[in-house]
Amino acid sequence: MAPPVSAVQPDAQPMWHGEGVTVADVLGALGDIRYRFARAEAGDSEHLHPRNCVMTLIGIAPTEAHEVVAKRTTQAIGMQHPAQAIVIREEAPIRRRHLDAWITTDVRRPEMACAVECELITLHVRGKAADHLGALLDPLLVSGVPTYLWWLGTPPFGKRELLDALRVSDGLVVDSAQFDEPYRTFRRMASMLKVAHHRMGLADLQWSRLRPWRESIAQFFTPGDRRAFLGGISELGVDYAGDGRGNRIAASLITGWIASALGWKLRRATAGAGGVVAAMYQAGGRSVEVNFRSVPQNDRVPGEVSAVRIAGAAGGTTFRLSVMHDPPRPRDTSGSSYEWDRRRGDTERVLLTLIEIGGGEPLRHLQQLEPEDEAALLVELLSTGTHDEVYNRSLAAASDLVESI
Amino acid sequence: MKVEEAPNPLAEGLHDYRVADPAVMVIFGATGDLSGRKLLPALYNLARQRSLPAGFAVLGAAMSDLTDDAFRKMASEKIHQFSRTQPIDERVLAPLLDLLFYVKVDFSQQDEFRKLGRKLQELDDARHTTGNRIFYCATPPQTYSLIAQQLMAAGLHAGKGFHRIVVEKPFGTDLQSARELTQTLQKAFPEDAVFRIDHYLGKETVQNILAFRFANSIFEPVWNANLIDSVQITIAEEIGIENRGRYYDTAGALRDIVQNHGLQLVTLTAMEPPLAFEAGAVRDEKVKVLRSIRPLIGEDIEQSTVRGQHTSGWVLGQQVVGYREEKDVAPDSQTETFAALRLFVDNWRWAGVPFYIRAGKRMPKRVTEIRIQFKRPPHLTFGREAMKEVDPNAITLRIQPEEGISLKFGAKVPSAGLRIRSVTMDFQYVTSFLVEAPEAYERLLLDCMIGDPTLFTRADEVEAAWMLIDPIENKWRSGRPPLAMYPAGTWGPDEATQLLKADGREWHRP
Repeated sequence: MAPPVSAVQPDAQPMWHGEGVTVADVLGALGDIRYRFARAEAGDSEHLHPRNCVMTLIGIAPTEAHEVVAKRTTQAIGMQHPAQAIVIREEAPIRRRHLDAWITTDVRRPEMACAVECELITLHVRGKAADHLGALLDPLLVSGVPTYLWWLGTPPFGKRELLDALRVSDGLVVDSAQFDEPYRTFRRMASMLKVAHHRMGLADLQWSRLRPWRESIAQFFTPGDRRAFLGGISELGVDYAGDGRGNRIAASLITGWIASALGWKLRRATAGAGGVVAAMYQAGGRSVEVNFRSVPQNDRVPGEVSAVRIAGAAGGTTFRLSVMHDPPRPRDTSGSSYEWDRRRGDTERVLLTLIEIGGGEPLRHLQQLEPEDEAALLVELLSTGTHDEVYNRSLAAASDLVESI
Repeated sequence: MKVEEAPNPLAEGLHDYRVADPAVMVIFGATGDLSGRKLLPALYNLARQRSLPAGFAVLGAAMSDLTDDAFRKMASEKIHQFSRTQPIDERVLAPLLDLLFYVKVDFSQQDEFRKLGRKLQELDDARHTTGNRIFYCATPPQTYSLIAQQLMAAGLHAGKGFHRIVVEKPFGTDLQSARELTQTLQKAFPEDAVFRIDHYLGKETVQNILAFRFANSIFEPVWNANLIDSVQITIAEEIGIENRGRYYDTAGALRDIVQNHGLQLVTLTAMEPPLAFEAGAVRDEKVKVLRSIRPLIGEDIEQSTVRGQHTSGWVLGQQVVGYREEKDVAPDSQTETFAALRLFVDNWRWAGVPFYIRAGKRMPKRVTEIRIQFKRPPHLTFGREAMKEVDPNAITLRIQPEEGISLKFGAKVPSAGLRIRSVTMDFQYVTSFLVEAPEAYERLLLDCMIGDPTLFTRADEVEAAWMLIDPIENKWRSGRPPLAMYPAGTWGPDEATQLLKADGREWHRP
């Protein structure tokens, strides 16, 4: 981690704060806070309410901005899952001061149930202590529940500090949309799966963002009478936001997902000017042509998928599926007596699916997408765990494609 | 032989996302209470979760003469009023309303079903639904047979695509009427296309009984007669009959609650592990339990059942009238508002373990729970004095409210001496998952669209339940055992206490 310098206090009113402390000091403070909370909640009862915690979530924040995001996100997650959160940032070394710590708590009071206390421990680490994150974290982890390591920004794949932190983690969460040098970092990430310990899962927020796309595509092929279309796909096109080469990870993951699920083999791929990629896959005895093209970024995140088009034919019937993000909406001129507000300003979270079968009128299907902030994505991802075989296979196939262009 | 279709490889790994085929859902009684309060809000929440497939459409069918737009307006109002998620996201609602259509249907008129058929064909063509149809009877139970017959006469019960019919409980009022209903439905639809909804089974906490038992290895080894002393099931309501006097006075607690909810909880508690959480396996095991329950006949009924009726009293600080003073209830009504049963499941696992069920109205509070009472330790290692405040171990599965699980066990009191006292270890859903569970109808509607009948009641299950209940009902109608009265706001008549006391046990106070 590059050591940024910051004088910003992480928490306005922490329950506890110590400078130049040890992990034992933090543990002692945590114990006191937990006991005081339990005692206060029990009231006159002799029985203290049991403590609830479903995970430890560790956020590694390379920068102050990342730290803000990590804290806001972990607190939002605490709204839905009682968790202990630890946010770590490396600070510039100060002699004989390795660790500053803050503890804040957030109490939830569900209706007709005892209160739940979620803890956020913020650690600013200095000097060599930052190279031994495993040793720093291990005593703080809640026993018996999974530990997830969320590395914001670009994780140092292959470096000791990451491997050391992974030693105490059950899963690593990254966001490949945020990678610096996406091409290199993505390949390093794919190769890391080969050396990670068997318990460790790898999850990517970018993959979570692709879920609605995967759902819409999977849904099209679900009816029994359309299943044969899977074997008749001849074209796959993916549009992604960005100028030139940019971040093609999402486009590669979508392609890797379909290719690995349907058993396509990559034959060749070439990249051209302006972010264009043309690849050829072998699917049984057929060829499938895959094309990426970059589209103006506008207000999208670099690399974000903006459209997926699949076309082909089976049993004498042609089909075309188009899934589009934020499509322009047609004006309703039907003059219906009951009028709907179809043209709201806030349409950026719309996914439009167009289905054409056998040359008939296209069927339109509109879906509203949930906000894609880190908290929402992490909640969804962590609720199912970080072991996702489909992602691993898609990642491997996407990595093959990325390497060949 | 039915050939299983290979799974869609692109759907793998989408976790709880389950993909339904596009279909048209016809809601009979679309302008009624069930449709407005439950079905339309459930469809909105499914749309919100992106669970409605492209091409899906709803065709409302009822007696009122409405246009599509008027139906959409009504639907919008109901969704705003009754959806569990608020505020309503108009960006989800608007595209959903575009999928709603309406056709006026008088169930007694064959011509109107032909008109329905033409509308369905139009929708099939425009929306690529390939003939897939779900007929949801959100109508009074006495119309189910008529609707099925009219659908068959109009040729709408079969053809290209799937054709499913959904009916709501009660499924008949006794064994004979249940069989007649089944026969009528099965003339038009095969059994695997008949979806009998008891919304109770769609509740998360009811399904969690199976997760608790079969996703954990530590409970199943003790889940048998070797260690379990008895099982108590309580389904208590603090409310009265709430303007349902006309229906309730002909039904009573035994048919209204015990025959369905009560016996469902017995089956889920007592069933053997199914091979998979899959419709055939789960429902086979449930039916086995019902068939293993020792039937109560003759004298057994007087000794093993209690029927009660509440008088006036105080509930939650409010004075309430007696049952016979309620609207639409006969002043000399003999209908029970409380039922308690002692049942035995005659199989290897449960031999000799009594299952006590009680269900009642105007009880001190609303609570549904299953209490597994374990046997006392075989030897008092710490002596009688140290153990005098220790109850036997118990596991309580709370279905509602405060959904969760409690384990009761003995622990040493911190002191110089050795005293043991009972303590509980509690799991509460809301504090471990700070999220709201989906409404039962959301789960069940999606299951029906997908064609997964695991959480629906099968014909043989319905019949097996009525076979147990009918003899009790008949005996009760002859006045045996006599109707026992209990003041509103209590846990039932003294006779219910005596039922357990005779066995050396007592009801757990929830």
